[in-house]
Amino acid sequence: MRAKNNYLAATFITPTMLVLAVLAFVPTIYAINISLQDRELSGSDANYVGLSNFIQLFSDRRFLNAAFVSLKWELVTVSATMIIAVLLAIMMFEALSPRLRNALSLVFLMPVLLPRVSAAYVWKFAFHPLFGLATYPYKALTGQPLDLLSNPNTALATVALVDAWQWALFFAVIIVKLLETLPPQPFEAAKLDHARTWEIYAYVAIPMLKAPLISLTFVKMIESLRAFDLIYVMTRGGPGITTETLDMYAFSQGFIESGKISYASSMAVLMMIVTTVAFTILWKRVRT
Amino acid sequence: MGKLSMLSAKFAGALLLSTILAGAASAEGCSGTIKVLSQPRDGLTLLEKSKDEFTKLSGGATFEIDNLNENDRRAKSKADASTIGKYNVYYVDEANVALFSAAKWIVPLLDYYPKEYDYADFDPGRQKVATVNGTVWFAPLTGGGDMMVYRKDLLEKAGVQPPKTLDEFIAAVKKLHDPDHGVYGVALRGQRGSGANVWRWMPYFRGFGGKWFDGDTPAFDSDAFVKATQTYLDLFQYSPPGTKTGSWDESTGAFLAGQVAILIESTPLTGEALDPKVSKVIGKIGFLPPPSPLTGGGYGHGLAIAAKANKTDAEKKCAGLFIAWATSKENEMRRLADGEFSELNRTSVLTSPEFAKQFGADLGQALADTAKVTAVNFWQDPRWPDLGDHWGISLEELITGTRTDIKGAADELNGFAKTLVAKKQ
Repeated sequence: MRAKNNYLAATFITPTMLVLAVLAFVPTIYAINISLQDRELSGSDANYVGLSNFIQLFSDRRFLNAAFVSLKWELVTVSATMIIAVLLAIMMFEALSPRLRNALSLVFLMPVLLPRVSAAYVWKFAFHPLFGLATYPYKALTGQPLDLLSNPNTALATVALVDAWQWALFFAVIIVKLLETLPPQPFEAAKLDHARTWEIYAYVAIPMLKAPLISLTFVKMIESLRAFDLIYVMTRGGPGITTETLDMYAFSQGFIESGKISYASSMAVLMMIVTTVAFTILWKRVRT
Repeated sequence: MGKLSMLSAKFAGALLLSTILAGAASAEGCSGTIKVLSQPRDGLTLLEKSKDEFTKLSGGATFEIDNLNENDRRAKSKADASTIGKYNVYYVDEANVALFSAAKWIVPLLDYYPKEYDYADFDPGRQKVATVNGTVWFAPLTGGGDMMVYRKDLLEKAGVQPPKTLDEFIAAVKKLHDPDHGVYGVALRGQRGSGANVWRWMPYFRGFGGKWFDGDTPAFDSDAFVKATQTYLDLFQYSPPGTKTGSWDESTGAFLAGQVAILIESTPLTGEALDPKVSKVIGKIGFLPPPSPLTGGGYGHGLAIAAKANKTDAEKKCAGLFIAWATSKENEMRRLADGEFSELNRTSVLTSPEFAKQFGADLGQALADTAKVTAVNFWQDPRWPDLGDHWGISLEELITGTRTDIKGAADELNGFAKTLVAKKQ
């Protein structure tokens, strides 16, 4: 009976696993193969050059800058999203009736439903120093235009704000629904012990939600790695190279500037290795 | 435009069309959809209204145009041409035609361009840009050089004469700059790209006597390079916010909104400045060639036949027929009737009475004068996009202040150019 069940399970799982394997491994193997060559878009011939693309990366100032920008982007967007989401969820849970919470949840879902490119264009115009809605109050008060996207000190944070706007509101909805599922007894016990509101959340509610919050953090970490469209539309990696992330630089090398697809692939492969290793270590560490 | 001239333009268009239709019977037999990768052009949008006409002319084919902005169109067409080859017709330009032809991503146009559409009627300057190594690769959709467009009202109020030299230009920009009252002296392009910030910087570089190469040796570490860059950076003090990372849209947008006193830009600006749908400065502007010694940036964009998607000669002929029809005299007359100044390329249209009546003698004279200082500023080589885009990044860094060493940037570019030259030899 057990053998029969195993056979049935394997019958159902095998085709799906095969499709997944093809989808996952074929492009990966292709990317690794290309990264070991000197292929360019404009040429039909290519030679194997070993690891020279990878070695060249470490003396490329734009690559090193892009790696640093990607790290900053990851830290800023993930932490901002999670902090804003948790605080918003707590405020909604504390201050609003269930009916109002549901209504607000619907509103909070809208930004994440917007295509990234549309959201990026909307906010790009909103941040325009002369005609933008978001910069208008500053201009009205000081008489000076506020050019956030052209300023190297504010450009990355401004784009990160848009990212957080899309994702933090969505995560707040998820967290508020998680809070609603928690049993009331631990909260009542804490109140009887004269715990203050922030203490109830810091020491009771959040620890109870540790596992789903960690999952949400990982989801956001993966999502933040793919913020190409948002950054590309809003700043194109500028001013200069201050918002040029690794995926942007790889695309630029592969398709905009030089057509160096082997060099671009070597960046993609390196990114894949680093993120797989880093995420595995982090995942194991937070689970123990 | 007067009703009479509009009517006569339309009549002339219809007459020409009937002639072409009668003579194009040999081109029938096309079918399916001709896919075009382009960037937004009013002339192509206007073309969509005449789809049935093309279907009839081609014997059953239709067309579909996908638009992307300039930088994205360049990236996408490069990716498409080198991989799957989904598009039958590419929109190419002076910056990438050498690359596309060298990589054999496009085919010689005149082999598949019906003779009755008279390629020789195109403006000779634009024909020159479309020709690489003696072969014609695209039919022009737009092109020209640079024009200085200035606000006559602001200059008169400030007692400033329209500048004829660069020194006068810089002095005028400084004097007219009054951001507290919503007026900026000039508008420039800061966004990275061989066709963006580098395009507007090149007239200074070439005007100061700069050369890209001395033989095969890169020559960017010259005084002209440093002086051109410093002048360009200095002028950014008087350019509106948003232009440091902006390109054509941002700088012309600010001018058309009435916020810029003087602008030197590619000639399509003049058409937009006279278009009541987008311009708030109609009746307030004058035109002159760029101040000496700036060279006007000669350019040309157009449609080319893709090699990969058109596998057979018959498919190439259909793509050639589409290009010929899209850039034909009758379609140019339609654009003229629609007031699309910047998309007129045929000598017969530019010298027509309808053109003179619609745009006036002043603009005609300014166009003739600017043609005298128009030059090919960029390096005419397949490696130009690589070199130009590389410099565009450093230039944007300098403009936005994330780096400050012009000489260091010049040396870095010199080193990059050397590797570029060495790699391909």
